[in-house]
Amino acid sequence: MFSIPFSVIEGAIVYANLLTLLCLGLTITYITTKVPNFAQGSFAIVGSYIAWTLFHVYRLHPYLSIPIAFIIGGIVGLLIYVIVLRPLVHKGASSVILMISTLGIDLILVGIFGAYADYISRVTHEIATRFVFTYLDFNIGFIPAILPISCITIIILLISLLLLLYKTKFGIALRASVENPFLAETLGINTERVRLFSWFLSGALAGVAGCLLPFKQEIYPATGSLILPSVFAASIVGGFESIYGALVGAYLIGFSETLITYGLSILFGTQMLVYSKAVSLTALIITLIVAPQGLMGVNWRKIFEKIPRRKIV
Amino acid sequence: MIVLEHFVLSIVMWFGLYLIVTLSLNLEVGYCGIPNFGRSLAVLIGGLAVGAIINRIFTVLLGISGDIISASATVKSILDPIIAENPLLGFGIFILMLIVAAIMGYVVGILSILPSARLKEIYLAITFFAMACVVFDICKHTPSIAGGYYSVNVPDVLAWIAGSQRFIVATLIILGIALGVYFIVHKLTSSPCGRMLKMIRENELVAKTFGRNVMVNRIKIVAIGSSIAAIGGALYTSMTLSFRTDDFNITLWTFYPWLIMLLGGLGNNLGIALGTLIVVLIRTLLIVYKHDLVAVLGIPFDPVWLEYILFGTVLILVIMFRPEGLLPEKPTFTKPLKKLKEIKKSYSSS
Repeated sequence: MFSIPFSVIEGAIVYANLLTLLCLGLTITYITTKVPNFAQGSFAIVGSYIAWTLFHVYRLHPYLSIPIAFIIGGIVGLLIYVIVLRPLVHKGASSVILMISTLGIDLILVGIFGAYADYISRVTHEIATRFVFTYLDFNIGFIPAILPISCITIIILLISLLLLLYKTKFGIALRASVENPFLAETLGINTERVRLFSWFLSGALAGVAGCLLPFKQEIYPATGSLILPSVFAASIVGGFESIYGALVGAYLIGFSETLITYGLSILFGTQMLVYSKAVSLTALIITLIVAPQGLMGVNWRKIFEKIPRRKIV
Repeated sequence: MIVLEHFVLSIVMWFGLYLIVTLSLNLEVGYCGIPNFGRSLAVLIGGLAVGAIINRIFTVLLGISGDIISASATVKSILDPIIAENPLLGFGIFILMLIVAAIMGYVVGILSILPSARLKEIYLAITFFAMACVVFDICKHTPSIAGGYYSVNVPDVLAWIAGSQRFIVATLIILGIALGVYFIVHKLTSSPCGRMLKMIRENELVAKTFGRNVMVNRIKIVAIGSSIAAIGGALYTSMTLSFRTDDFNITLWTFYPWLIMLLGGLGNNLGIALGTLIVVLIRTLLIVYKHDLVAVLGIPFDPVWLEYILFGTVLILVIMFRPEGLLPEKPTFTKPLKKLKEIKKSYSSS
């Protein structure tokens, strides 16, 4: 047995928190509009560039720009839905066409980030094409601030989401239109508003994740496609059609990616650190073979009932 | 004149490469309805077949030690003069490259569809995409596979042709192979096999009723498609004389083939050729006039980002306003149909 250093655990928790934010957005837009969003990774980079701009132009610490990233990220998500995806959904485009159009959006976003990064680097004389925020982090006691801040952010967001879903009239309408959109419409619920909200939320959560991502990873315009496999793996492991599945999957993938690669790097040397994405790919493939509906789609009660019965016989 | 010649040749070269890869994609998506979002994986495997496998075979045969980057340079320095003397040896190595790439593409194609062959389209698409991303990422960050960030040299199979003539011959070879692939894919898709693929695409239940094994046929078609795409990747590497992982990224070899396919027309091979010509022409123009563009328009950023924004927008406009593509799919003209038409013509004339 080898003991795991605290920094690895800390990294795993922060990474899992960020994955949770991205997976929640991916799942919410999928269950409301049936669009598997391949641009989810680039949605996060919107937040990263907002944080970069606010820091280098207005000297605002990235932690303080989280609310701004939330709002602007949400607006970007909303605009993309209204301009591109809603017309396609109304035309009855197939899921393949919706997927390739989100891939197209991803390319446009990467192009915009690249152009913006080149431009802003020239204006501010700071490098925006590749950056990290790790040097901006400070310590609270002996732990780096990113750990409590990412945890607090995610707890606040989750609690307010749950309150919204279960304690307000809008939440009931939202859940109803997810369960059965046609029935919800006959009851006079505006299902379009729910879809708009889900895209706003998806963009907003991704924006927050993007604001914190540079503390853990180098950001460049195409970083989105680098984190996307992990996001998809987490969503599918948890169950692509369940909000709780997104939570479970994100923590599972976040921890296994970090800890398994750490274990491998101790056994075989540091070159194994490259294979962190291979861990999530393996998890994705195993899930698709064993239980394609994900952990939340499995009928656990049935499985648990079977186990003692066999013992008795 | 030299500039113009170079311009035309590079258009023809890219046309050939993209035609091969997009035809293979069309075989899977347009005819069989498998949403392969990981085309770049097969192309990368084709490149690796030359950059990593063929190079390693020669390092072992020639007894060279050292890492892949320096060893490949040594292999090239030994092999090139030999090939310059014997064109036949160059031809043999070239064929070997294509065969290795085809076999590796076939195997990787099977492996990439197996986990999700029986699942819904979105799972298929996500698995393909994730696999392509992860393999690319690992390749890029592991120099011991094929150089990682740096490029690996490849023996020049056309070393017996001197100077500027080489580029012309290389381009003609690529075009020739692309036309060959076009012919094969066209024959395949207008045969009963092509109609079976369309049946699987339109309605799996009907295909099952007619005794077709949907799963096996899907796996086969992805294997064939990946094999063709891998040949494209191997051609690219062997003709440009170097392998660099970055040249096989997702934008270049997954997104652009999809764009070409949707622009040209899903399930129409002639449309694919037209789409390839348009996209390659625009892209080459953008690359050639890169610096003029910056100077004239005064854009304060790298024009590559403009290319991304432009092609992304074109894709979305095509999907929104002309989802069937420039040349829509036509019913296959089978032999009995042709005969019927002839009979009809003979009746109407008499």
